Amino acid sequence: MTEFGRLLPVLIQGNVRFILIGGVAAAVHGSARATFDIDVVYDRDPQNIERLVRTMQEFKPYPRGAPEGLPFSWSVESVRNGLNFTLTTSIGSIDLFGEIVGGGGYKDLLPDAKTIAVFGVQCLCLSVDRLIQVKRAAGRPKDLEVVAELEAIRNEQKNQRETVR
Amino acid sequence: MYKDPVVEYYKQFVDLTLIRENLKLTVEQRLIKLQRMVEGLEELQKAGRELRDKESKAQR
Repeated sequence: MTEFGRLLPVLIQGNVRFILIGGVAAAVHGSARATFDIDVVYDRDPQNIERLVRTMQEFKPYPRGAPEGLPFSWSVESVRNGLNFTLTTSIGSIDLFGEIVGGGGYKDLLPDAKTIAVFGVQCLCLSVDRLIQVKRAAGRPKDLEVVAELEAIRNEQKNQRETVR
Repeated sequence: MYKDPVVEYYKQFVDLTLIRENLKLTVEQRLIKLQRMVEGLEELQKAGRELRDKESKAQR
């Protein structure tokens, strides 16, 4: 089971630089869809990779869905040599993206990241507008369903603001 | 402005009542709600797996 309230503070307390994307980011913006994992874009800066590896080490990351016993080691070297990781950990599932389609890497997305306060920490979450863009670029049917909901959320927020005026 | 016909098609299935309820909540409340929903769904998935196991054993 993914413990959203534990995974996010763990990453923040480990000084890992990341931006929340995907279903959890959609939930932050008001989505009613269920998601079972946390998706983040992490900074590929060497020091951040070291912090990411050190922070996640105790939660035993392992490729999700892979058979047991593979020669996978969660290390700075494996993160440097790879890019995107779909992992299971002792506190839940997390997808780590070095880059995403239509969005690029951490530094590309940073101008469109918003600070949110949650579970006693502050973390970065991709804005609803940029989330729509990257989901549209991903283009799978499930992404387009999310785009439909996010656009409905954006319209709803706009209507609410106009009603308040 | 361009409107993707696929996205427009999916919009008819978006439940605005759920979205309006979520927009009344704080960000943290939304994530706690998501956590509870996921816990509930995982319980249901577990119950479904157990039922399928039981049924397949009964058929043997």
